[in-house]
Amino acid sequence: MANNPKKDIIIEMENVGIRYGRGPEILSNVNLSLERGSFHFLTGRSGAGKTSLLSMMYLAQKPSRGRVSVFGNNVNFTNRNSLAMFRRRIGVVFQDFRLLEHTSAFDNVALPLRVCGMGEKEIKKRVNELLRWVEIDRSTSALTSTLSGGEKQRVAIARAVINRPDILLADEPTGNVDNDIAPKLMKLFVELNRLGTTVVIATHNENLIRDFKYPCIHLKNKGLSIVKPGERTDDMEI
Amino acid sequence: MIWKFKSLRDRELPLSKDSSNLFLKVMISISVFLFSVTLAGVLSINSMLVNWNSSILGSLTVQIIPENSVDKEKARNETIIQEQRTVAMLEAMPEVQKVTPLTDEQLQRLLKPWLGDDIKTQDLPIPRLIDVRLKPGADVDFNILAQKLAHIAPQASLDNHKLWLNKLINFAAGLKMLALAVLMLVVCVTSGAIFYTTQTSLGLHKDVIEILHLMGAKDTYIAQQYAVRTAWLGGIGGVIGVAISIPVIFLIAHLAQQIEGGIINEANLSTGAWIIILSLPLFSSLVAMQTAYYTVKRTLERMM
Repeated sequence: MANNPKKDIIIEMENVGIRYGRGPEILSNVNLSLERGSFHFLTGRSGAGKTSLLSMMYLAQKPSRGRVSVFGNNVNFTNRNSLAMFRRRIGVVFQDFRLLEHTSAFDNVALPLRVCGMGEKEIKKRVNELLRWVEIDRSTSALTSTLSGGEKQRVAIARAVINRPDILLADEPTGNVDNDIAPKLMKLFVELNRLGTTVVIATHNENLIRDFKYPCIHLKNKGLSIVKPGERTDDMEI
Repeated sequence: MIWKFKSLRDRELPLSKDSSNLFLKVMISISVFLFSVTLAGVLSINSMLVNWNSSILGSLTVQIIPENSVDKEKARNETIIQEQRTVAMLEAMPEVQKVTPLTDEQLQRLLKPWLGDDIKTQDLPIPRLIDVRLKPGADVDFNILAQKLAHIAPQASLDNHKLWLNKLINFAAGLKMLALAVLMLVVCVTSGAIFYTTQTSLGLHKDVIEILHLMGAKDTYIAQQYAVRTAWLGGIGGVIGVAISIPVIFLIAHLAQQIEGGIINEANLSTGAWIIILSLPLFSSLVAMQTAYYTVKRTLERMM
C-alpha cells in the first residue's frame, strides 16, 4: 500500500457529469483530484454548480456519469452502510444550515457523535467545549428555531467539525456571521486543515480568498479549473 | 440484532408528535381485543378437544339391554346377572382402570329431564349402564371385547363414543381453524396499518432523515427510533385491548356455562391460556416493532 501513488488522493472525479432529471448537465466532464490535507476555495457565479459539486463530495448525490471516488472508493459501487461510514468522516456546513429545528443547539452538535454511538458523557464534554468556542454557550438548550441566523451558522459549523472529520466541506460558512467572528471561524478551518483535514470552502467572499492564500477550484461553463493563489484573472467571476 | 432502548423520549425524529400515533394506538387496541377474544375461543376449543379426545381414548360405556320378556322380574334379574358378569370380566382386564356400574339413582338422574321426577326405574325396561375408564395409553381392540361381551352377556352392547364425538370433534376443529384464520387476519391487518402509517411518517420526516443520513446515520439508526416508538404504541394498545377483552371473555364464559349438557362446560381456560392472553401486549409490541423496523429499512433502501 505504501507504493500506491493514489494513496494521498482523498476525493477524485473523472469525467463527471451531473444533471437533475432530464434537464441539461450542470457540470460536464469534470476532472478533479483533492489530496489529503489540501485546502481549496470553491468559486464560481451563482448557478455554476458549486452546491452540486459539493453534494457529490459529501455523498448526497451520485454523478449522472463518470466516476467519483471518495477515500479511494468508487461511490457508484459502494453499499449503503459503507456510504454511511464514509459520511461520518465528512463534515459539511450547508448553505441553508440544515439544522434540526425542533431540537436544541446542543443536540444538533451532538448528532454526528450520537450517530457514531459515542457515550453521552464524552458527547457532553466535547459538545459544550465546542459550543463555548463558537460562542453559543448561553443558548445551548434553546431550540435551534429560536436562534439568529449567525448563531445557526455557528451551530452548523460546530456540528460539521465536532467529529474531527477527514474532509470538511463548507458552503458559504461565513455568510451570516458577524465580521468579528468570521476570521475566528476561518482560523478554525485553517487549524483543522493543519491537523490533516482536507478543506473545501465554497464562497463568494473575495476578501476571504485574498486574505487566506489557498488555491481556488473555479467553476465556469460547466467545467472547472484550479487557480493558484495570486493567479486570479479578470474573467474569473466569483 | 441488538436493540438499544435508550429512551422513549424523541431523539432526532419527532415521532411522538405524529398525528398517526392515536390512530395506531386505537387500531392496535381493537386488534388486540379481537385477537384476545378469538384466542380465548381457540384455547377453549382446544381444551374441549383435548377433553373429548381423552374421553374417546380413555373411556367406553357398556349397555345391558333388558330382555323383552313378559316376566319383568325375571328379565330384570337376568339383566343384573349379565351386568355383574360384565363388571367382573372388565375388572379382570389389565387395560381397565376403573369400572363403575351406574346405580338406580344415577340412572334416574340421567332420565329426569325426559321422564320427570316421579319415575321408578324398577318398573321400566331401562338398560343398565357401566362406565369404564381405561388406563392411560391402553390399547383395547373393541371388536374382540365386543365378542367376549356377547359370550358372557348376550344383551350387552359396547359404545366407545367415537361416532357422535367424532362429529363434534370435527366441528370444533373446523371452528378452531376458522378462529386461527381470523387471528392471522387480525395480525395482517394490524401489520398493514403499521406499514402504511410508518411510510407516511417517513414521508413527513423526510428532511430530518436526509440530515441524519448526511451525518452518517445508518438505516438501522433511523429504523430503531421508529421501532422503539411503535413498540411503545403496540404495548400501550395491547394493554388497553387485553384489559377490555378480559371482562368480555368472562361474560362469554358465563353465558356458555348457562348451556346445559356439559359439552361447553369442558371449554375452560387453563392458567397457561390466561398467561398467553395476558402476554398479548408483549406480542403486539413485538409485532409492531418488527413491522416498523423492517418497513423503515425497506423504504430507506430505495433512497441514496
